[in-house]
Amino acid sequence: MAITEQPPLELGPGDAVRYAEKPLGVFTRPQQGRGWRDWLSTVDHKRIGILYGASAMFFFLVGGIEALLIRLQLAAPEGSVLSADVYNQVYTMHGVTMVFLFIMPLAAAFANYFIPLQIGARDVAFPRLNALSFWIWLSGAIFLNTSWIVGGGGADCGWFCYSTNSGVAFSPSHGVDFYAIGLQILGIASLVSSVNLIVTCLNMRAPGMTLMRMPVLTWMLLITQFLLLFALPVITVALFLLMFDRLFDAQFFNPDAGADPLLWQHLFWIFGHPEVYIIILPAFGVVSEIIPTFSRKPLFGYEFMVFSGIAIGFMGWGVWAHHMFVSGIGPISVAAFSLSTMFIAVPTGVKVLNWLATMWGGKLRFTVAMKFAVATVAMFTIGGLSGVTHSVAPADTQQTDTYYIVAHFHYVIFGGGVLGLFAGMYFWWPKIWGHFLNERIGNWHFWIMLVGFNLTFGPMHILGLQGMSRRIDTYARGYGFEFWNMAATVGSLLIAVAVLLFIWNVVKSKRDAPHLPLPGPDPWDSRSLEWSIPSPVPVHNFDTVPQVHSRDDWWHTKYAENDEGKVVRVATAEEAAQTGEATGVHLPSPSFWPLAVAVGLPLIGYGLIFSLWLALIGALVTIASLYSWAMEPVDDPDATHDHHDEDHEDDKNEDDQAGGHDS
Amino acid sequence: MVITVADMRRTAGRLLAAALTLAGVAVATGCASDAELDTFAPQGPIAKELHSRGVLPVFWIAAVVFVGITIAMVWLIWKNRVRNYDGDDEWPAQTHGHVPLEVGWTVGFLLTMIAVAGIMLWSLPTVDATEDNTMVVSIDDRSVTWEPTVVVVGNQWWWEFRYYFSDQVDLADLRAHGDAKTLPPADIVTSGQMVIPTGEEVELIITSRDVIHSFWIPALNGKRDAVPNRFSPWKIEASDPGFYFGQCTEFCGLSHSRMRMQAVALTPADFQTWVDRTSADAVEPTDPEALAGMEVFAGICTSCHVVEGVNDDVFERADQASGAAPNLTHFANRSTFAGGILNTYNADGSLNRTDLEAWLRDPGALKENYTVPGEQYRGMPDLDLSEQQIDDLVAYLSGLGAKPAGWIIEATQVE
Repeated sequence: MAITEQPPLELGPGDAVRYAEKPLGVFTRPQQGRGWRDWLSTVDHKRIGILYGASAMFFFLVGGIEALLIRLQLAAPEGSVLSADVYNQVYTMHGVTMVFLFIMPLAAAFANYFIPLQIGARDVAFPRLNALSFWIWLSGAIFLNTSWIVGGGGADCGWFCYSTNSGVAFSPSHGVDFYAIGLQILGIASLVSSVNLIVTCLNMRAPGMTLMRMPVLTWMLLITQFLLLFALPVITVALFLLMFDRLFDAQFFNPDAGADPLLWQHLFWIFGHPEVYIIILPAFGVVSEIIPTFSRKPLFGYEFMVFSGIAIGFMGWGVWAHHMFVSGIGPISVAAFSLSTMFIAVPTGVKVLNWLATMWGGKLRFTVAMKFAVATVAMFTIGGLSGVTHSVAPADTQQTDTYYIVAHFHYVIFGGGVLGLFAGMYFWWPKIWGHFLNERIGNWHFWIMLVGFNLTFGPMHILGLQGMSRRIDTYARGYGFEFWNMAATVGSLLIAVAVLLFIWNVVKSKRDAPHLPLPGPDPWDSRSLEWSIPSPVPVHNFDTVPQVHSRDDWWHTKYAENDEGKVVRVATAEEAAQTGEATGVHLPSPSFWPLAVAVGLPLIGYGLIFSLWLALIGALVTIASLYSWAMEPVDDPDATHDHHDEDHEDDKNEDDQAGGHDS
Repeated sequence: MVITVADMRRTAGRLLAAALTLAGVAVATGCASDAELDTFAPQGPIAKELHSRGVLPVFWIAAVVFVGITIAMVWLIWKNRVRNYDGDDEWPAQTHGHVPLEVGWTVGFLLTMIAVAGIMLWSLPTVDATEDNTMVVSIDDRSVTWEPTVVVVGNQWWWEFRYYFSDQVDLADLRAHGDAKTLPPADIVTSGQMVIPTGEEVELIITSRDVIHSFWIPALNGKRDAVPNRFSPWKIEASDPGFYFGQCTEFCGLSHSRMRMQAVALTPADFQTWVDRTSADAVEPTDPEALAGMEVFAGICTSCHVVEGVNDDVFERADQASGAAPNLTHFANRSTFAGGILNTYNADGSLNRTDLEAWLRDPGALKENYTVPGEQYRGMPDLDLSEQQIDDLVAYLSGLGAKPAGWIIEATQVE
């Protein structure tokens, strides 16, 4: 841990905002404070997590509106809400938005916020890089969506954007250009973040926090970061080729020049399949924290859970061509990828049974968080099993590219991923904000969302098996599609109601908070380190860096087992928790440069599409910002704050001295 | 605020009732009564075998696992739920795991998946292996032994079917040839409706001239993508005469949803009749209106369309990105047009003048297109035809080829 002991500095909430002299004559060196400007320069992993989360929820609404448009168009045969052209743009942007702008950044929010807290660190390894990931992600997200306004519409090639349909001849608007460049920008963000979080997990754990004592959420997030690290370069290569094809007349995907369109499919799915696990593993981690807490039992088979997560991460690299069973890749390849796909079901099934075994003999308390967590397991199981049915490659020739697949992956991504992350929000909300989400509204949210979800995506299994193709903007009467499409549309409206309830819950909970009892550090009687510090988390996280003695260390601080094997309380959470009143804690200095670097990238993007002069300006902004960043002192000389990017090794010793609970 | 277990049970009960009602309504409304694309109603022998060997066994396995896990979960919730947690400081036994148990269910899942793998390996040959069956077809007054093969070419947004009887092609030939835009001349070139003989396994060689499409007649077999620069083998077979619907299933751009096709299975004798009719060049019309239509056709339509005997000797490529538009030599012999989305005839057998005229008047209104002058077209452009020209063209087109049998017209009606 990179915390150095320096002359004391009061850093409680309510510090005055102070600005130092301009170190480089460009920006005033910002300091930690509470104004809106401090959010622009923050390097605090918690604030960056909140920024990720809030932006992700905004794009959830954008993607949700796109989803509702799709469902309204398909509610009845010969729908005329959208033209075919607009429909293709909307369904493409729905997919891109939900994957890249909602669920990935929402998982990133959890990763940013909770990895340091769960491993007993005061920030991530590279705080300014962390800010850089967020701002680049946001600039990419905004860039991508501006194609609606300045690009002649959104991309219309599907999120998978298969060659040759992605070529200029078949998609002449700028939508696909925005897709190709926008996803490259988003990729930089994820890549930077993955390196940062991997280093954080490996190097910044509190003393005694061995890898096999890390909470499962942190484990799953760590695996996710490795998947991102290796998957994103592949899609970046593909996007780079596509960009050159479209903007500079390259011939990588031109069949008339001898190209094989399957090249894109391979590149896309080598990224695209691990992407599924990038989406689902964080939710698995969340569920693995919540079910033990509300079952009053430790996670059943911690080692199996960790290693099955690792196994999923590894095997996820060997299954990509199951998206291509009907592409004509030959029976040997089909058989091989069919087999590898089946065997990835083994570690996944193990996880499901271990969650059930955690509940076995437990004392289950069905808070909203627990309901969402259990629903995640149940819904994911359905999605996993429908996945098994089309892992049988010949059977898949009847199912692929039908609504059966749409049903399948929504059960995995929405049923598994989104419900899981909602569980996480209800669970950690008091830790982040210092007040609970309202449980009564939460219950309505849960049940309406669960029913709406099943009503939307359940019928799609039937529609797919009845032969309804994916990605069609309308369908004719007489194929038997009418009833279930209407049902799905009704279901999607229920989901919309549930989302509105969630937003209402956020607003109302905040408004009611002053009249309600505070949650205290550990409202759910939970197990991991983030519950040993006050809610909301003080800016420096830990007063003293904890010394970890065992897995679920915080629980063992509160409880012990007596001679008869009974659990007895040894301390209350309030007694054992840190107070958050430490002084003399030194934190990294804020910086505007990550934001400035991120501003340059979309300018390069617009420039590549519209005028290379603009790209030049964008490049200058980016390069100048990077240089300014490099020359910005790591420690603000005028502040007593201390940036801590360096000297990890030296700090280790001091950490050890500072370790241990202060209870 | 805490919701009680009683609340939950009540809600769950209501949900169950709602779900059952819904399912009842669905069954009552006969949700699958006329579902021509239904994958659970296979009709050809290949599709039936695929269904019974591949689809159903794995669905049963998945169903059993699903029921098992769901029952376990419901039981666990039922048994272990706690109504009032507050103030309860009793903790259950702290089980951290049980290695034999966990190894047990790892092995259990492994065995299950080995069974699924067996299903896969057992059913894989049903879609891929090809018999070397032959049939005798008479073409241009001579008999040839034909290995039933149809070259299937995807285009935005219609399917072309090419039949080679005189100079038969096979997969290796076409792969060596490499390019779907300049295929060797065929005896019969048709679109929208693939005609096949019953009782014969028909090999399909699937390719595309523009983007990736996917050929799928669910009642006869699964699907296979049509990929530019690739020739992929596939097969279908129908035991009984009949019509089998399909829809392009790989997203292929703007009007993907309006790219449909049908397989029409005829007895070998009827198939021969169809071959006789459709292998001939177009006959020059005698009716003055149709003659006028032919002139309009020669002046405007021949920049994209071919009618054999009219412009096949000079035609090079169409203005479309695919370089092709449907061959109209036997237009009237097909009961659908415009990529399988419109009926050439009304159900009573009369010409569907309404849709034909509407299509000629403004094709983009029925099927979105992209026809910016100077760029490669996708779909049929609006030709700005006068009403007189439209009438003449309808007269000409409706005389190209023989009207199909009444049962075919009736059975192949779209909508």
